[in-house]
Amino acid sequence: MKNFKYIILGAVLVLGSASCKKWLAVNADPDNPNNQSVQVQNRLPWIEHFYQYTAGVTNYRTSCQSGVYYTNSGNPNTFSTTWQCTNANSTTSYQTWFVEVSSNLVDMYNSAKKIGAYHYMAAADVFHALGYMEMLDLYGEMPYTQAGTGNPSPKPDDGKTIFNGCMAKLNEAISLLAKTQETGAPSLASGDLWSGGDLGKWTKMCWGLKARYMLKLSKKTDLYNADSILYCLSQGPQSNADNIVGPGFNNSTVTDYLYGDPVVTNGNFDYAAYGSSARISQYYYNLLTNMRGAGVIDPRMSKIVPAYMTGIQLDGSGKVASYTWTRSIGVDSYGPSARLVKGGATSIVTPVYAAANKNIKYTINDATDLANFIADQAAAGRPYTVNGNTVTVTYKAGSIYINSTNYVYAGDTVYVNLRSSAIATSGIPAQGQNDVNWYPSVDAFNAGAIASTGSFQVRPVSDQEILTYHEMNFIKAEVYMRKGDVANAYTAYTAAIQAHMDMMQAKLTSWAGTYGLTNPDMTPMNSGDVSAYISSTAVAPAGSLTMSDIMLQKYLAMGCSIENWNDMRRFNFSAGNVGSFGVVYPGYQRGPLFTGTAQLTGAGPTDVRYWMRRWALPPTYEINYNSVNTLALNPHATDPNIWSMPVWWDCATDDEYYGYLKK
Amino acid sequence: MRKWKLFSLIMFVMLNMITNDLKAQGVPISGTVLSEEGTPLAGVTVAIIGKNQAVVTDDNGKFTINVKAGSVLEFSYVGYSARKEKAAAGMEIHLSKEGSSQMSDVVVTAFGIKKERKALGYAVSDLNAAELMKNKNTNVINSLAGKVPGVNITQFSGSAGAGASITIRGGNSTSEGRQNQPLFVIDGIIYDNSTTVTGNTGTDGLSRSNTTFSNRVMDINPEDVETMSVLKGAAAAALYGSRAADGVVIITTKKGAEGKVSVSGTSKIASSSANKLPEVQTEFGPGTLSSNGVLNTASYNSWGPKIPADSSKYDNIGKFFQHGLVYDNNVNLSGGSKNGTFFLSGSNFKQTGIVPNTDYNKTTFRFNGEQRYNRLTVSANVAYSIADIDRTLTTAGLYGSGVGSMQALYTFPTTYNIKNYLNPDGSQYRIYSGTLPLEGDIDNPYWIINKDKLTSQTKRITGGINASYKITNWWDVNARLGYDQYATNDYTYIAPGSALAPLYQSGRLSKDLYNYSYVTTTVMTNFHKTFGDFDTHLMLGTTSENTNIVSQNHWGYNFVVPGTISFNNIATTNKFFTDGTTRKRLVGVYGEAGISYKNIAFLTVTERNDASSTLAVQNNSYYYPSVSGSFVFTELLHGNNILSFGKVRGSWARVGKDGNPYATLTYENPSISIGSFTGVGNQYYAGNPNLKPEIQDSWEVGAELRFMKNRIALDYTYYHSQTNNQIGQPRLAQSGGFIFSTLNSGSVINKGMEIALSGKPIITKDFSWDVMLNYSYNKGRLGAFIPGVAYFYPTDAQFGTIKAASIPNGGYFLGMTGTPYYRELDAKGNQIPNGRYQVDPTTGFYKVNTTGTAVVGNREPDFIGGFNNTVRYKNLSLSVLFDIRKGGDIFNGTEYALVANGLSKKTLLNDRQSVTVTGVNSQTGADFNQTYTVGQNYTIGSTTYSGAYMIQQYWQNYAANSNNFITSVNWVKVRSLSLTYDFSSILKGSKIIRAISATAVGTNLFTWTNYKGMDPEVSAAGGTGGSGSQGIDYLGVPAVRTFTFGINVSL
Repeated sequence: MKNFKYIILGAVLVLGSASCKKWLAVNADPDNPNNQSVQVQNRLPWIEHFYQYTAGVTNYRTSCQSGVYYTNSGNPNTFSTTWQCTNANSTTSYQTWFVEVSSNLVDMYNSAKKIGAYHYMAAADVFHALGYMEMLDLYGEMPYTQAGTGNPSPKPDDGKTIFNGCMAKLNEAISLLAKTQETGAPSLASGDLWSGGDLGKWTKMCWGLKARYMLKLSKKTDLYNADSILYCLSQGPQSNADNIVGPGFNNSTVTDYLYGDPVVTNGNFDYAAYGSSARISQYYYNLLTNMRGAGVIDPRMSKIVPAYMTGIQLDGSGKVASYTWTRSIGVDSYGPSARLVKGGATSIVTPVYAAANKNIKYTINDATDLANFIADQAAAGRPYTVNGNTVTVTYKAGSIYINSTNYVYAGDTVYVNLRSSAIATSGIPAQGQNDVNWYPSVDAFNAGAIASTGSFQVRPVSDQEILTYHEMNFIKAEVYMRKGDVANAYTAYTAAIQAHMDMMQAKLTSWAGTYGLTNPDMTPMNSGDVSAYISSTAVAPAGSLTMSDIMLQKYLAMGCSIENWNDMRRFNFSAGNVGSFGVVYPGYQRGPLFTGTAQLTGAGPTDVRYWMRRWALPPTYEINYNSVNTLALNPHATDPNIWSMPVWWDCATDDEYYGYLKK
Repeated sequence: MRKWKLFSLIMFVMLNMITNDLKAQGVPISGTVLSEEGTPLAGVTVAIIGKNQAVVTDDNGKFTINVKAGSVLEFSYVGYSARKEKAAAGMEIHLSKEGSSQMSDVVVTAFGIKKERKALGYAVSDLNAAELMKNKNTNVINSLAGKVPGVNITQFSGSAGAGASITIRGGNSTSEGRQNQPLFVIDGIIYDNSTTVTGNTGTDGLSRSNTTFSNRVMDINPEDVETMSVLKGAAAAALYGSRAADGVVIITTKKGAEGKVSVSGTSKIASSSANKLPEVQTEFGPGTLSSNGVLNTASYNSWGPKIPADSSKYDNIGKFFQHGLVYDNNVNLSGGSKNGTFFLSGSNFKQTGIVPNTDYNKTTFRFNGEQRYNRLTVSANVAYSIADIDRTLTTAGLYGSGVGSMQALYTFPTTYNIKNYLNPDGSQYRIYSGTLPLEGDIDNPYWIINKDKLTSQTKRITGGINASYKITNWWDVNARLGYDQYATNDYTYIAPGSALAPLYQSGRLSKDLYNYSYVTTTVMTNFHKTFGDFDTHLMLGTTSENTNIVSQNHWGYNFVVPGTISFNNIATTNKFFTDGTTRKRLVGVYGEAGISYKNIAFLTVTERNDASSTLAVQNNSYYYPSVSGSFVFTELLHGNNILSFGKVRGSWARVGKDGNPYATLTYENPSISIGSFTGVGNQYYAGNPNLKPEIQDSWEVGAELRFMKNRIALDYTYYHSQTNNQIGQPRLAQSGGFIFSTLNSGSVINKGMEIALSGKPIITKDFSWDVMLNYSYNKGRLGAFIPGVAYFYPTDAQFGTIKAASIPNGGYFLGMTGTPYYRELDAKGNQIPNGRYQVDPTTGFYKVNTTGTAVVGNREPDFIGGFNNTVRYKNLSLSVLFDIRKGGDIFNGTEYALVANGLSKKTLLNDRQSVTVTGVNSQTGADFNQTYTVGQNYTIGSTTYSGAYMIQQYWQNYAANSNNFITSVNWVKVRSLSLTYDFSSILKGSKIIRAISATAVGTNLFTWTNYKGMDPEVSAAGGTGGSGSQGIDYLGVPAVRTFTFGINVSL
């Protein structure tokens, strides 16, 4: 009897251990899908969105460097104004690319390969090229071959390796797009937020990107190949219909998991126009109002430069009864910078709304300033009293004004910021999806007092331009110009301007019936103004075309884009020492608020190290966490003047490049 | 479920195996029982363990009892600690009074096995109830501070309900998600001691540094504890295998005793107040200067003009904190008969915090019972507790803005009275309402504590059933089923009109549910046989553990109709819901074999094999062996009068630590919808499909010596441990594609020493003095780590300019990196230690190493110690516990914040009229000497700066240097001082009241320290795992000093 019980006990123990394995198999989270089970058609919209987000922050910050924008926000201000570049700028582009996108590319590629979804493999290749090329543009060297796969301390690669890797991926993408997918593989259309799965557009994008990237090699006599670029262009986008854009929406308040920004909006908006810090620079403003010294206002100007309401009169119910639209002027960082010199590099103040009459007393000791100030008040029609050197000004209810007792700031309302509102960011629940104006407060919204109409490329609902037909034409113009074929260059130059005008007009037309109802800057341009501009001397006449004409029109059209900074590096900014092209970006120079001597150590404009040529790697996420590998490849990665070290494609030869990486 | 079936079957088998009852054939032996002072004790119960046979000593302390050779006798007497001894003819037993600090000879070891101390090859420290009650703290962990060598306690903060963390012999895992706290085992059941953070850091403010969290051992009623055993080394804990690497604290709760029913109650009232507050300057008012010297007065910085003598200044910080009160009531009832005992207790602990509107309220119940049925003993225990915290946000933690009450309090300019926080219409009164948009403002601390509501409630039930069956007198079987379950409900309401991102300005609400449950089964069998002079034992067992956690988070924003705070009053599009399930299972098989020779030499080996669900399937089964031995050499030196006992011991063990659940896979984020598309992408945590357990190899040697008839005792240990295959989820290079990656990499090496010296300098009938002095140090180092990574930033413990960091390849485990000033260079281009500072000519200030990679400190103390004294004169006894620490760096982040915002008294230098920068030019190496004076202008580069602005910037530059806020801290604390008077003698003859005593206790009364900040003990993000946040003091609730008065009555 006793033995029998032991036998039972023993049997149970054996059974128990056999089922132990199964009992322990509980290490997969039942609430969250894992990376093995995600479908490719769900990966792709994620990748497209977060690439847009990466590109958005990159476009914004590099546009501060290239002089499109001024900002009073401390970190990007070191790009726009002081050039004392701070590596606090370095993190976001890097983090959004590597953390939010890169590992998904690997997983999408592998999942697509398993099911023969070649078009998704191609899409992974295209994003690989888009993202890593952008990282190369910014950081010069970083992990590439070992990146994005969970390797905890990936070794960095040099710029040449990254460049060639991206080109190879584009070639692979072109051949994969030509293949028929295996049966059962999801169509590209089911996951393509950008182009609806149009394989032709994707293929043209690959060729277009190849052209863009091969143009980067313009300093390299051995690698730059004009005919190859022209061939790529012949296979790339052929009209605005081939433009690749990321759409922006304003129909959700859902925010992203890492930065808390809305997930449906345009990525440029999230950085350039989410808050109140960014403004149009005087450099960009001048191109829009006085290109080639022609004194012609560009029809695109009022769509790009924001306006705000002045002279607001409220009616009995506190609503705006009358007002005047006042267009912003640009903030001068490179010229005399009179306003900034008075207050400091970041001193431009953001306006507020006066819900009730507001008196501000200013003390002005300088007699000239006092007289000018009083004259300004009189001109603006504001009530004021003067008592010795103090002036008390009344900002009437409804005013958009600067709430500071410092008279230097009082006129800062003329620097209208680029801010635009989305339902996820406005904090004004009553502000509907079709109103993307910026109102400084709920009171201002209730009254209808608009403090900014926003800017064409950076509203939540703006298209985010990834690759456009007008850029292709500008590339073509530059390449022909370099070949000395001015006639073909001229054709491409005018086609580029026309293409950009057409693209804007189409978008403005599509906005007019919704957003245009509350925002005059979201309605079409006057078509007469467009043709008048094209025939004016703001556009170079045939025969007198210069490289500067091409590049400045390109700069104007690209606007919020990293490509301007890339182009400027290729032309050594305003040094005027590239080929026989002279000064391509006249007026772009260190301003009186320049303090970046430690970052930009070159002695003069023709010294390579005089300019901003790359970003330092993120101080924490790469340098601190991967310092040994980072410094092994580039011992200067943590030097203060890393900001002026050219990246590989910005060097004429490999010897020059590897010379920088030496100890 | 399968385990449960197995368990029932074994119970069934046991119940049916009633075999022949071996009769004990006894021989009579006699002995004497004496007090420590040597006076005979009459009426002591002498019982044979495991039999229902007992006698009582006579007036001369003599007894005679029939026993079989090898039996163990238990001696028990009211007011004295019970003792067990092997029966021997002519034995002389000395009983010590309860509460005296002499170490008992029997200690509780792994799986509750009681062993003779002399048989142990490793160090075990234990504390009894009386010692715990001397400075009772509602968190039993805190009562260990200063009393046990090798144990380091860190209190999270001074707020009501704040927990504490405990580490033994240093930490073994660096990563923040990895706990280095020991396993807690209560009456044989593993008891969860996590500090769980529910909810969302960004949107609820619920992160470790932003509000108050308890550690779950606080759910235990300290009055229920009979003994606590601290198993420090791996050898001691080896039987727990993959749960043993951080040591084990074994708690045994009280049981009833045979005899009449007794009732006892205690009632305490305590008052606590802030120990020390940050000091702020009151001479200069609010403002921030721009570079040209123009002042912006709408500022929370205090760089403004001198405050006129006739204008009001407010002691906002001093008036903010209140006296906290504690009401602590306990009652217990116990008793028993020949075959059964019971213990029943209830308690309530009600505390109001020093921050208004915060409190902690804990109610507990416990039942322990035991019943014997011949050879079968069945015991059961169950404890229930409810713990509520009303808490506040302390520092920034809300997306968009939100600074928390402490941060706001330490920031507000002293020219504003923060008590004025409401407008007549009930909205928040904001001092800069016209200037700062709400999202750019900071909330008034009174708004935060009065309008926001943050609560946490935990209900917990823990229980177990234990059956043991004695098959023969040398073989028994034990089975146990344990259950631990709690539910935490967290509620966070942020009032409309708070300074948050615009989206949340109409109020937000979140509710988090966290349900933890744990079931464990253990079956164990013991054999014990004596062969001549050799005594042997063998134990075999198996255990299973099943942990299941279900969590839910609900949150939303924008209440549609003001005043109704409910999800029902939030639009569907603005409310969100997430679910979590965590499962973890483990099966272990273990055994122990021991042999001893004549009480002289002891040898024990253990082995355990674990399989854990958290590891990669191919790597999930592991062996953990240990061997330990001791040699009592005094057994060979008969009749030594000075050295009464001497033993040397040594052990080697391998233990481990399994992973966290789900770390073998990479998971996805919640999907996003854009247009008609749905996107899914990876989370920023990378899984590891090859995860292995951490393996710790350790050895220790030690000695135990007692002199002069045990009047003086010395215990010495030296240990060394190395933990390899460290499991971590460190922040690593993001180019890997993730922020955190789960890895097995690197090793942690700990070595240290522990010394405990105890003595009884004076023992007389009326007067006695007991002393215990302990000393320990640990040196924790990070060994090799992932190649190419120079710093391991384990935690979110990054405050001000410093980061907690472990430094690979032999660097500090508890290091800190920061941003010091550069010093002048020698000819080789290296910085000269203590050389002059470099001055950056482009800024005019000292040049800061902003890479953040400079190692600026080691947070581990050189040594810690305790000095515990009990002096008794007749019925009055006085205990005083000193807590000593030497060295260990602390970052004073609060002072950092005050310097940066212009409230620090330091910034009053030269009445803010001038500052001088001296050093060497960082570009040319030339001497640099420049004074910046108010009223002057300075041109640097092409910009002209006003002198006043340069003085403000001087202090920003000062704040940027981490080293300005790091101190190597020493302290001596009077951790507790307690005075007890025993009125029992007055009651002689009372039939009702058996004992009555009164106690007055002061806790944290005095601290002598070189630390200039608040309290050096507070850590900024309490409960952070890995190398944690100890040594970082940042805008916390000040530590408290407490006075308690209590009465204890026994019926």
